[in-house]
Amino acid sequence: MADASTDGDVPPEADADAEDDPGYWASLTVAEKGVVAFIGLFAALLVALLVTGGLGPAYFLYIVGLAGMYALLSFGLNAQWGFTGLINFSVAAFFGIGAYGAALMSGSTSPIAGGFNPMYGLVVALVAAAVLAVIIGIPTLRLRADYLAIASLGLAEVVRLVILNQREWTNGSAGVRGIPSFFEGWPVLSTFPEAMPGLEIVVIPGSPILLETSFWSALLNVALVLAFVGVSYFVLKRAHRSPWGRVLRTIRSDEDLARALGKNTYSFKMQSFVLGSLIMALAGVFYAHLNLFVSPGDLDPITTFYVWVAVILGGSGSNRGALFGGVLVVTIREGTRFLNELQVPVGISPVRFVELPIDPAPMRLLLIGVVIILVMRFRPQGVLPPQRELIWPSSVDESTPKTPKSGVRESKAGDTDE
Amino acid sequence: MSESEFEFDDDTETSADNVVLRVDDLQKRFGGLVATDHATFEVERGTITGLIGPNGAGKSTIFNLISGFYDPDGGSVEVNGVDVTGAEPYQVADHGLIRTFQTPRKLEGMTVREAMLVGPRNQPGESFIKLFTSPGEVGEHESKSLADAQRILEEFELDHLATQPATDISGGQMKLVELARAMLAEPEVLLLDEPVAGVNPTLRKDLAEQIRRLNEQGTTFLLIEHDMEFVMDLADPVIVLDQGSVLMEGPPQRVQSDPRVIEAYLGGGT
Repeated sequence: MADASTDGDVPPEADADAEDDPGYWASLTVAEKGVVAFIGLFAALLVALLVTGGLGPAYFLYIVGLAGMYALLSFGLNAQWGFTGLINFSVAAFFGIGAYGAALMSGSTSPIAGGFNPMYGLVVALVAAAVLAVIIGIPTLRLRADYLAIASLGLAEVVRLVILNQREWTNGSAGVRGIPSFFEGWPVLSTFPEAMPGLEIVVIPGSPILLETSFWSALLNVALVLAFVGVSYFVLKRAHRSPWGRVLRTIRSDEDLARALGKNTYSFKMQSFVLGSLIMALAGVFYAHLNLFVSPGDLDPITTFYVWVAVILGGSGSNRGALFGGVLVVTIREGTRFLNELQVPVGISPVRFVELPIDPAPMRLLLIGVVIILVMRFRPQGVLPPQRELIWPSSVDESTPKTPKSGVRESKAGDTDE
Repeated sequence: MSESEFEFDDDTETSADNVVLRVDDLQKRFGGLVATDHATFEVERGTITGLIGPNGAGKSTIFNLISGFYDPDGGSVEVNGVDVTGAEPYQVADHGLIRTFQTPRKLEGMTVREAMLVGPRNQPGESFIKLFTSPGEVGEHESKSLADAQRILEEFELDHLATQPATDISGGQMKLVELARAMLAEPEVLLLDEPVAGVNPTLRKDLAEQIRRLNEQGTTFLLIEHDMEFVMDLADPVIVLDQGSVLMEGPPQRVQSDPRVIEAYLGGGT
């Protein structure tokens, strides 16, 4: 019913998400402009590295896959912490449940049920994550937020140690090998990487870019993670702007107020917790089919730490912030790892390569620490905090007065010092 | 047989009609402290009932017991003739009883009208499934809520604040917004916990007028207030609590001149 009026005359600022809108750049906040500029520069750098052969295309796609995976994990934590204020320190556990669910169903060395179609693994992993979330939620979500934090800290270790020690179920520290690609058994996609010809693209004479089978299978993985990220983003974005999301945000600010207004906060917290856990498990499923091998080391608590960093840097409560934070953390984490092997190109033709004078890999955590300090100092709400007003879109378009969209968001940056 | 049944029905109907809130022999202890000591009172439909008493008399505890935030150790609470003793706050709210809090609650990151939209109860958009199965219904209800919110903000003369951040308005305006939001929940009985504490005299008058207007439109009020002038001007009857039990109940003039009340307030007991 809202369509009739929205189709008629769309105010220019209502369509700010469209890239080609003339007022798009002007409607952005300073932070958004910064993010767009950062992405632009970063993309240019990546293209330069790809073209000069400093970065292998298959490896590049692997990193994109990891970035998508971290974006999913950040989405999951954002749905719990960012929306509702639930403190979950067991991100790695739900990620691990997803990864092991997929691996145990489809991996060839799985001790219980190997060889199934990966779709079964996906379903089993999601169901297992949901069940675990409900089990941990029942005793803790009725209590104050601290209790979930403590319980989830314990849960992360319990899940990791069970996977490490229950060898007859999980192979213990040997891990599960022989996990097929996610598209195994699909009509065209399962043979797509082999069917594609090896291509050689020469942009700069002397350093051709090889596109081989590994590239095409990596491309499939990227398509898969983009699909997961896209679906999750769509679901979370809609949920965030809805009355459902508004109740969650009320709970985050003041749970008693939500209860006094007749909201069953326990049920809402449970929904938020399960939703976030499902998205984390989805990241785990993807990881199993990206890496083709899972081991208890994948459940290290450091993953939880990285995801928290991603959500807080990006801006708690903001989906695009979580997306940005997830990608940023992978960039720093993997970027420093790969800078280790990087040879900086000097000159255009002929290209010479020079080793970096220092070894940046060990500085990874230091770099993340510096970024956290800078962001917390200058943008305590994160790089891309949630928009000030979140009302079901069609309803806002109908109502008058119109939201002073950019104006309201502009004021956001300055009002943090209360 | 049928006659007596009719009589029985008639009886419950009239009592349910006149009494919107019944507190019977309510008890609550915190360790050795008896916060509510066999408190019994009724709130009649259509009244503005005041609940007063010296500090520590147990007024806020009674609010928490009625609205489901505390579980009583004994006694019962009935809202609209339904026993809600020990129910969760959202269940009590579902029977038409809404409460506000002593200190206004801030909703960070929301505009005023957005904070208002938390008010309506049982919105279809609060079901996660419906967001995807029937987005049209969600949008329709949201538009209606938004229009209602806008209308109520206008009635409260707060519409100029609609798109302001909810954390940037004054404490007094926040109290008004709380009252306005509670109205979106369509309460039959509204419990106000110190509605004018820390509110400047102009807004205090506004609040009194709004409460009177809403009362004339059919909402029953039970309010805790320390500001005697405000209570005595607005409320009838007034219930006086002292040390967890009801000291007396009656019209404001009688309460004000009662020696027991004066003694309780001046601490004559010691």
